[in-house]
Formats: sequence, C-alpha cells, structure tokens
Amino acid sequence: MQRRILYQLTWLAAALSLGHHLDHLIRGNAVGWPVTDQVNAFTASLVVYPIIATGLLLYQAGRVGPGFWALVSGGGAAFVAAVHFGPAAVEPPELILDHYQPAILGWLAFGWLVVFVAVLAITSVYETRVWWQQRQARRATSPATGAGSGR
Amino acid sequence: MTAANPPTAGAGQPAVQPQPSAAATAGGVGGAVVLVATRVALWLGVQLLLAGLLVLGGAATFGRALNEAAGWWMVYGALVDLGTLGVIGWLLRRDGRSYRALLGPPTAAWAVALGALGVLAASVPAVVFSGELTSAIYGEGAIAPMFAIVDLPPWASVASVLVVPLLAELAEPVAYLGVILPRLERRLGRAWLAATIVVVVWAVEHAFYPLLTSGGGMDLEFAAYRVGSVLPYLAIWTALYYALGRRLLPIMAARWVFNGGTALALALGLVE
Repeated sequence: MQRRILYQLTWLAAALSLGHHLDHLIRGNAVGWPVTDQVNAFTASLVVYPIIATGLLLYQAGRVGPGFWALVSGGGAAFVAAVHFGPAAVEPPELILDHYQPAILGWLAFGWLVVFVAVLAITSVYETRVWWQQRQARRATSPATGAGSGR
Repeated sequence: MTAANPPTAGAGQPAVQPQPSAAATAGGVGGAVVLVATRVALWLGVQLLLAGLLVLGGAATFGRALNEAAGWWMVYGALVDLGTLGVIGWLLRRDGRSYRALLGPPTAAWAVALGALGVLAASVPAVVFSGELTSAIYGEGAIAPMFAIVDLPPWASVASVLVVPLLAELAEPVAYLGVILPRLERRLGRAWLAATIVVVVWAVEHAFYPLLTSGGGMDLEFAAYRVGSVLPYLAIWTALYYALGRRLLPIMAARWVFNGGTALALALGLVE
C-alpha cells in the first residue's frame, strides 16, 4: 500500500512539475537553456526529471527507499519555494500573475504552482514518516536476530 | 501503531480507507452536522448579540454595530470554541470514548515538535497564496480586513493571544479532523470525498467570522475572500493529517504557533 501511494505521489509531483515548466514556456519570461542561451534557475530545475527517472529505477530495484524520496520531495519543495516565494525570490508570483490575459489564467498558473509546492511538501512529510516507521520496524526486529545468532 | 493511508494522487477510487481506530469507529453523520451547525450558529449568534447590545445602548445603527462587534471576533471566538468543546464532549460521552482518542496514535513530544515544523513549512504555499489574494482584492500591502478591523483594549488583546488560540486548537481541528472527518469517511466509504467535503465546509464556516457590512448590505466579497484565502491552508492541513498517520497534535501545535503569532503581532501593533 505504501509503495503504491509513494509511486502515485511521485507521478503526481512529476505531472505538476511538467505543468509548471509548461507555464514557464508559455509565459516566456523566466526561461533559460535549452530554450535560450542563459543558464538560470529554469535550467537547474530540469535536473528533476533525470533524478525522478533514476530514483524510480533504483526504488524498483530496492536500492533506495522512502528516505530518498523524502529528500527529493523536500529538496524540491525548498528549491521551488525559494525561487518563487522566498524573500529573495528570482521569480516572484507577480511574474506569473501579471503575464497572462485574461487574469484568471494567471491565477490558474499561480494556483498550480501553489498546489505543486504543497504536494511536494506534504509528500516529503509522508515519506519521512514512512522512512521513520520502517527504520523503527528494522530496529525492533534486529535485536531478536542478533540474540539468536550471536550469544 | 495505527497505520494511516494518505490520500492518493489519483481520483476515482477510495484514496483512504476508514481506519479501525477509535476516531473512526463511533458516531454517525448526525453528530457531524450538529457540530458544524453549532459552530456556525455561535459565530452568527454571538456577533448578532453583541451588535444588538450596541444598538440597544444607542451606540450605532445596526450595520455599524455589526462591524463594531466584528472587531471583537478574535475574543468572542473563545465562546464558539467552548461551545464546540461542549458538543464534542457530549458526543464523546454518548459514544463512550475519550478526547485523547481523537488526537491519534501516541506521539513523543519531539515528534510532535518536528511534525509541527513540517506542518509550518508545508503551509508556506498557503501563506503566499493568501497574501497574493489579499493584494489582488484589497490592494498591494493591504491588511486582510478581518485583521484590520480588530480593535481591542489591552486585557482583550492578552486574552486573544493567550487564551483564544489555545481554545481554538483544542476545538476546531479536533472537531473537523477528529470528529467530522471519520464520520463522513464511514458514511461515504471514500476518504478523498470525505476529506474534500470537510475542507469545503470548514472553509465556508470562515465566511461567518466575522460578518461585515458594506454599502448597506452584507459584504459578500469579503465572505468569498475569507473562504478563498483559507481554503489552501485547510486543504494542506487535512492532507497532512493523513500524511502524519492521523496525528492531530503536530497540526494543532503548528496552528497554535501560527494563530497565536498572528494574534500577538496584532496585539503589539506589528501588523500595519
């Protein structure tokens, strides 16, 4: 059940990320390489797709667990929030809200961003809890194993 | 430990099955309706009563008295929350259950604190959305009307900082997430639908506190703004309730910091 939820949350976050990048392309006011020659936050943010693809493969192979996804989601939430919401935001909400006509489209794109960051943060909290529970479960079983094999 | 299943990304099938925990095993939807009705009736009743007293005292016309009474909403909210706790207590006695059971599985203090930090961090998108909505409707740098109207003497400010936020956390999230949500989940069999209804009803309740008048009638724009600005917070907190394994204490602690901090900033005149 937890694996299924983790996959669903990952795909949801990836879809929201894709939609937000699409919003960048439509606005055209905060894009970088490969669309333009400039390397900026937009360029850096594209690294999320190879991370998700690699993470899914490693998760499928059992090489990484919820702790990895908690870091990816939490890091993603912090990055997107810092770029768009932080006090030194390079792409503040006005960059989205003021560049759409009619204005409702701007609010739609901004609402999408809000949902995107919220989903990343909530996913990180959930994955942290699952990681912690799995860790506790491993600790609870390991002493019994040790007692039987050691002394 | 009680396992909890957070809402899934997709729609169309039950995201979360009702839990076999104490929170999910008692009571019907009737209790949930009584709880919501009580809160709305108290928000309306107390403000109307205060406004009526002001009119009887000859202080103002009814419309103006209503707005003057609204300036005390951060204090008379305590009565609403006391009434809510009364109804919760009555429901618990009827079902033979404890208040503690509504708060979720036992959680260490450090885990509550860490969870509260997570809740505060996850609330940032809601803070930003609410701020942008306020600027769009009331102008750049404007204070949200429900805070702009607050005008309290010192003793009432102290109560609004020390007493009211604490009562609010003991009553409001416990009512919606601890009592109403499990009952709806059990009735509907679809947790995502129950959670959506809870978030919408919880948000709509905010339209009633406070009621403001404008141009001789109710200020419906403010009521709509109030619902819209609070909706992201409630959606995030409800999702976090599932993400945290149906633990309410981290959410209550974070909300207490958030609402208490807001009340303190208002009392100190830091919100200009």
